[in-house]
Order: sequence, then structure tokens, then C-alpha cells
Amino acid sequence: MKWELITPFITFFVVLLVQITVIPLIAIAGIIPDLVLISLVYFSISRDQYYGTVLGASYGFFIDLITGSLLGSSMLSKTIAGFTAGYFSTETKKDINISTYIFSLIVFICALIDSVIFSFFSAFDVQTNIIKLLFEQALLSSLYTAMVSILFIFSPFRRRKF
Amino acid sequence: MFRFLSKVWTNFREYIALVLLILLSLIILSQNKNPNVQKIRAIAFGSFATITSVISDIFSVTNLQRENEELRETNAKLMLQVSRLREFGIVNKELKDLLAFKDTTGFPLIPASIVSRSLSMTQNTITLNAGKKDSVLPGMPVINDKGFIGIVNSVAEDFSIARTLKNVDLRLTVMDERSRINGILKWTGEELIIINIPNTFDVETGDRIITSDVSSIVPIPIPVGIVEDFRQGETGVFSYIRVKPFADLTSVENVFILAKVKSKQIDNLELNFYRRQ
Repeated sequence: MKWELITPFITFFVVLLVQITVIPLIAIAGIIPDLVLISLVYFSISRDQYYGTVLGASYGFFIDLITGSLLGSSMLSKTIAGFTAGYFSTETKKDINISTYIFSLIVFICALIDSVIFSFFSAFDVQTNIIKLLFEQALLSSLYTAMVSILFIFSPFRRRKF
Repeated sequence: MFRFLSKVWTNFREYIALVLLILLSLIILSQNKNPNVQKIRAIAFGSFATITSVISDIFSVTNLQRENEELRETNAKLMLQVSRLREFGIVNKELKDLLAFKDTTGFPLIPASIVSRSLSMTQNTITLNAGKKDSVLPGMPVINDKGFIGIVNSVAEDFSIARTLKNVDLRLTVMDERSRINGILKWTGEELIIINIPNTFDVETGDRIITSDVSSIVPIPIPVGIVEDFRQGETGVFSYIRVKPFADLTSVENVFILAKVKSKQIDNLELNFYRRQ
């Protein structure tokens, strides 16, 4: 039980370490995949919606603290992303949702929600072009995150009993 | 009553948790400038940056050769510039002595490396391996050989976080080097622009943009970027200028922190002036 509680946080710190040191090297025009979100979606589906919501808030809070972004902005967006991912955590479909391409689709939806909320809270003002903002900051980065999540489907890491 | 609450919790705990956590996020969002929150943040990123600096060192070794070549080229160019500037400097000093001007040159620079970066499109920040121990303070400008990079925002013992030009929370007073027109530079999330410039002002594509003398953040003129184009605003009276930064903010690795914050004396004078209005 204790190990089950600790695993998401150990995973988080390892993934965040990679996210802020290695991932910027594979940025395309400043757009990077969000590995933390992929792990959040995985844990939300593998546990339940309540767990996903609380985990999303915790992940977001630590990201804000460590990266220096507006405190509370990632927390809010990741809470809602975790809640959304939890919708796909039905007992009968858990395994399918994690081990097939559906996982990438769920990651895409959650990344889109996460990016849109984060962008609105951190960048929105009167002069902002909303369509351009949604396209560049939400859609492109969500697509990139979803593409990277395909690698996760083939990894041995996700093959476990829930 | 307890049974009812227990039933509500069992049936709707996902939604209750969601609402409570959203409220908590909004409360935290409103507490960003609280000094205690800043302290907690400094401890958190300082601890994490100790680990990231090790990984960042491993990756930076692979780039050393390329960086060395670039530095050699920059060195040669600078050597030629220095010999020219030395002559100008002598003349300048003589003229300043004649006019009894105060010397404003010789700002101390603190060298630092970027140990990690947050590449969000709107909240671009970098973590530097220099902190309180190296006399870094919030508000100090971060520069490299190309120009302005950002401003130090939070400082821990050994590390600091700086907001780069591509951060929506950083607004900077800048100036057209040729026409001496001042404006506010900001990152919209998509592009770097100088806002609310009257259409009649003399700004041309290719003009160099530097930090302004009237800036309340940067004490000396530092190159920021070059004017890319001049666009009509929605109101028709004001335009905005798109600026391309000199420094490549995504690939920069080594920087300098200008160990100087804007004079408190000037700030106080300005503050007293406004209070009297």
C-alpha cells in the first residue's frame, strides 16, 4: 500500500528531472511534450478519478514551485486534466485504455485541456489572439505530447496488473 | 447528519475534491507575491536544482566543442572592437573629466550556467547555478554576449530562477537606439512586441532595440533585439513593433548576471515625486 502511494511521486520527480533538463533538447520551435502529463494520465486511469484529481493537483503544485511559473496555474490545469483522465478509469476498460492507441487519444484530450487552462491563466490579455494562442500553445504541444505517449504504449513499464 | 455527509462524500467525492482543489489553486494564485510563498519556492527550487545541475553538466559537456569554436570567433571580433573602443574610451574619459561627469561603467558580472529551463510558451524561466552565496538578488538583469536574456525573479542559497524575455510576466522599458523612442516590451505568448507606439513615431525595420535609461529594472542600456516589423494596432492610433531578440533564448547555456539593481535612491526620489502629485 505504501509503495503504491510513493510510486507516483518517485515517478514524478524522475520525469520532471528529464522534463526540465533533457526534453528542451528535443523542442520543436519552442514546443515540447509534457511527460509529467503522460504519467499523470497513466496513474489516473490505473487508479480512479478521485486519485487522478488529487494527484494532478499535487503534480501541478510541485511543478509551479520548482519551475518558477505562476504558482497555482499548473496546479489548476493539472487538477482538471487529472479529473478528465480519471473518466477513462472504468474497471472493464482500464487495460484497453492504457495498452492501446486509445491511451494517446486520452493523453491528447487531457493535454489540450491542461494547455488551454494554463495558457488562459498565464498569458491571456486583451491583445491576445485567442485562435493563435489555442493553436500554438495548446493544439501543437498536445499533439506532440500525444505522439510521445505512443512510445509509452510499447514500453514494458505499463504492463502490470491493476 | 454524519451518515448523510458520508453518503454524499462516497457518491460525489471526485466532484467535491475537484471543486476544493480548484478553489485551493485560485487561492494560491492570489498569493504569488506573498514573501512566505517566495521563501518556500526558493527552498523548493534550490533543492531540486542541485540534482538538475548534475544532469545538465553531463549534457553541456557534449556542446563544449561547438561552444569553444563560437567563443574563439567572438573573441577575435571582440579583440578588434576593444582596440577601437579603447581609443574612444580615452577620448570619452577626457571629455567626462572636462564636464565632471560621474563614471557609470564597470558593472560587476556574476558568471552562471543554466541548469534547467521551463519551456512553457508563456512562462519561460531558467534556473541558474548562482544564488545568494554569489550575491545574486531578485531584479538583477541576466545577459550574455548577444544581449538581454531576462531578470532574476527568485533566489535560493546556490541557485536562482530568472524570467526570460519570453515570459508574459516580464515587461521591460526599451528604447529605439537610433530615434531614442521609449516603449514597453512584452511577450504575448506568440511574439515579442513593443506596445502602444503612436503611428507617427520614427521607427524603422532593422532598428536596434536596447533597454531604456528610464527603465525601473535595468540600470544600463543592454541590447535586446532588432525591429522586425511595424504593425497597425486595432485602434488605428497606436501600432506595435515586433522585435526579434539578439539572444537565442532556447539554446543559451552560459550567462552573466549583472550585479546591479536599480538605484534605491532614484526609486525613492521618483516615489516621493509621485506622492506629491
